[in-house]
Amino acid sequence: MHILKTLRVKPWLPAELEPQTNLPSALLNKEKSASTALQFFLAVITVVFLLFTITFLQRTQSFDFQALSGEPWLPFTNANILWQNSAYLLLASISIILAKKFAEQQSLYAIIISLTATTLFTLLFISGQVQVWQQLNQSGFYITTNPANSYYFLLTGVHALHIVGGVLVFMRCIWLFYFNLSYQQLASRLKLCARYWHYLFFIWLFLFCLLTSDADTFKTIALICGF
Amino acid sequence: MTKMENVAIADQVDHSSHPSTFMGKYIWSQDHKVIAIQYSITAIAVGLVALVLSGMMRLQLGFPNEFSFIDPSSYLQFVTMHGMIMVIYLLTALLLGGFGNYLIPLMIGARDMVFPYLNMLSYWTYLLSVTVLISSFLVSGGPTGAGWTLYPPQAILSGTPGADAGILLMLLSLAIFIVAFTMGGLNYVTTILQARTNGMTLMRMPLTLWGIFVATILGLLAFPALLVSAIMMIFDKVIGTSFFMPAILSLGETLDHSGGSPILFQHLFWFFGHPEVYIVALPAFGMVSDVISIHARKNIFGYRMMVWAIIAIGGLSFVVWAHHMYVSGMNPYFGFFFATTTLIIAIPTALKVYNWLLTLWRGNIHLTVPMLFAIGFIFTFTHGGLTGLMLGNVVIDLPLSDTFFVVAHFHMVMGVSPIMVLFAAIYHWFPLLTGRFLNNKLGKFHFWGTFLGTYAIYLPMHYLGFLGVPRRYYAMGDTDFIPESAQSLNAGITVSAIIVGLVQVVFIINVIWSTFKGKKSGRNPWQATSLEWQTAQFPPGHGNWGKKIPQVHRWAYDYSVPNVKDDFIPQNVAPKDVEYLADEKNNNNPREK
Repeated sequence: MHILKTLRVKPWLPAELEPQTNLPSALLNKEKSASTALQFFLAVITVVFLLFTITFLQRTQSFDFQALSGEPWLPFTNANILWQNSAYLLLASISIILAKKFAEQQSLYAIIISLTATTLFTLLFISGQVQVWQQLNQSGFYITTNPANSYYFLLTGVHALHIVGGVLVFMRCIWLFYFNLSYQQLASRLKLCARYWHYLFFIWLFLFCLLTSDADTFKTIALICGF
Repeated sequence: MTKMENVAIADQVDHSSHPSTFMGKYIWSQDHKVIAIQYSITAIAVGLVALVLSGMMRLQLGFPNEFSFIDPSSYLQFVTMHGMIMVIYLLTALLLGGFGNYLIPLMIGARDMVFPYLNMLSYWTYLLSVTVLISSFLVSGGPTGAGWTLYPPQAILSGTPGADAGILLMLLSLAIFIVAFTMGGLNYVTTILQARTNGMTLMRMPLTLWGIFVATILGLLAFPALLVSAIMMIFDKVIGTSFFMPAILSLGETLDHSGGSPILFQHLFWFFGHPEVYIVALPAFGMVSDVISIHARKNIFGYRMMVWAIIAIGGLSFVVWAHHMYVSGMNPYFGFFFATTTLIIAIPTALKVYNWLLTLWRGNIHLTVPMLFAIGFIFTFTHGGLTGLMLGNVVIDLPLSDTFFVVAHFHMVMGVSPIMVLFAAIYHWFPLLTGRFLNNKLGKFHFWGTFLGTYAIYLPMHYLGFLGVPRRYYAMGDTDFIPESAQSLNAGITVSAIIVGLVQVVFIINVIWSTFKGKKSGRNPWQATSLEWQTAQFPPGHGNWGKKIPQVHRWAYDYSVPNVKDDFIPQNVAPKDVEYLADEKNNNNPREK
């Protein structure tokens, strides 16, 4: 392991080989730095969702918890609209990879089409989620009536905020490209955006599975986790 | 070919990026040094508010019912705001936002943080969080008085001071602070990992940086727990969900909540709260290691062990949180697990204390003011740590829980100790900021007043805890099991606290006076080896390194190397440039051959 090897170094002894000189400092190696920062940021977001999930799983075992799927009258027994939203996010995730590829090939029209597709599919996902919220409210599944409802609104809301954050960065990237970003710089930024979108998609799939599970599944998970 | 093409990219200074206006230089600055000072001034200012609040609490405890402006509600509000401000808005912000920002780029040989704009944004977001917090003093009902742990259900129920706007502003402020910290934290870790200069390997970094690095990672992973709990509590309060709120009868009225778990909040809070202790402690450990080594003219004893200990403490800090919850009715096996992990964390911590002592052992100790504070820290931290071992055991913790013994313990380990290091650091690095020393006589007065004064406060407080005096009580009234002498002791503690508070005024006067009139320090006044003292311009200017960034050839602890002319070799001195003593026969140092 590289890190263990690093930590075993005895720095008080003279180095066998002096490190190379006159290398460009990573200070200006923006892509590498941005990539490292993104990894840490995604780790932070992972902890946020992990903690929400633990509290959720604990709450599934309380007497007043009513899962949102299982019985025919429950909203996510038939989760077609959520599958549709998932497809939007998947398509957004794919189109952003294509945008990055086209940026590498310096194909302007293809870039515009793929970036427009990413924007469109992401907005469709968000509006789809808002539609689900409205349907839940219309069916009487208000945020306060049941802890399962509370968690649904809370977790999808936090996920939506996560997406909005990504969209802002994505828009800034397009804005900069419009003015002075080179194709190479655009490709490198889109690479990071793509990683962010894949992560969004992964988190959404996780939430989808979690929030639409039925009572028996929660019982099994709780048994395994010791709740 | 132009001349510039032969210069490393990092050495190509972009002069157009140097701000020239007052606003660009000092307000909307992206220079890490200016941002560090902005962070420090804000943190110290808000810390002084917290200090005044603690003085008010002490007035009530020492002389109950003598002051009409302190009633039971305001007492609880002072307790809460004092705790939260000191832990989050002063210590975390000053150690990481202040010292982290100032020292990271300078110590690794970088021109700035990797994301200077984000760094600037981090400070202004932090200032917003402080403003939101302080604004709670101005709203109807005042700030929250729920205690710094903000436990529900009481934190958001009527009857608790500040249960309307106060608690919401507190939670909102914390959420904003976490956003600010995340922006800053991402910058710190990325800068350390990606912007180190040539030759600056991870294991050549000064321990200050290791402390800051690991503490920042802890912060990035622990603050989300506070964010999650803050968001869920806001939902409970504003929307009426029941994440933490059980079915409850409040002031004769049945509330709409049902089934929530207050204990769940405690788990989340302490999952953040315990690593927070080390978010504060690890940078302090690092800085004190450097101060001790420099002022004892000796390499730090067991550098690798010190690094490993920092990492081990960081890792273990995530599996000890429930030792704050022994009285919450947890499963005994659960308590046993957390007592064990708590005792295990004492091993790397004790290792560090031994290594500081062994660094001092037969060193050429200079009893400068920074060194006095560093040695003072070893005393206070050892005392705080030992009482921590006591409280880590379930059977001892249960009777002492919620007494002044706990207050004394965590103030010694988490209040006084990091503050001692902060003072050591301020006295040590002040010449780097200003080119001047802080006044030595005032500094020594400040040290002895603070060191002896804090002992006069907290040693008797342990005894009060043993007597069973509970914390967070506005007044004891007639309580049979507590002798009257406890009140005399409380009065004595209050007098000591006021004296310690006044001594800090001397420190502030010293800082202001020395900034303009202090004795000039010259370059590298402590003869330190680390890079921050080796800049082209002193104090360092924008871009830090002039035309060329430094090349590192050695670790940061080459002090008193045998047969070398000076008793220190800076990190950027190449082996061929080291000056040896004239007697060539004695030049038998294998490390430089």
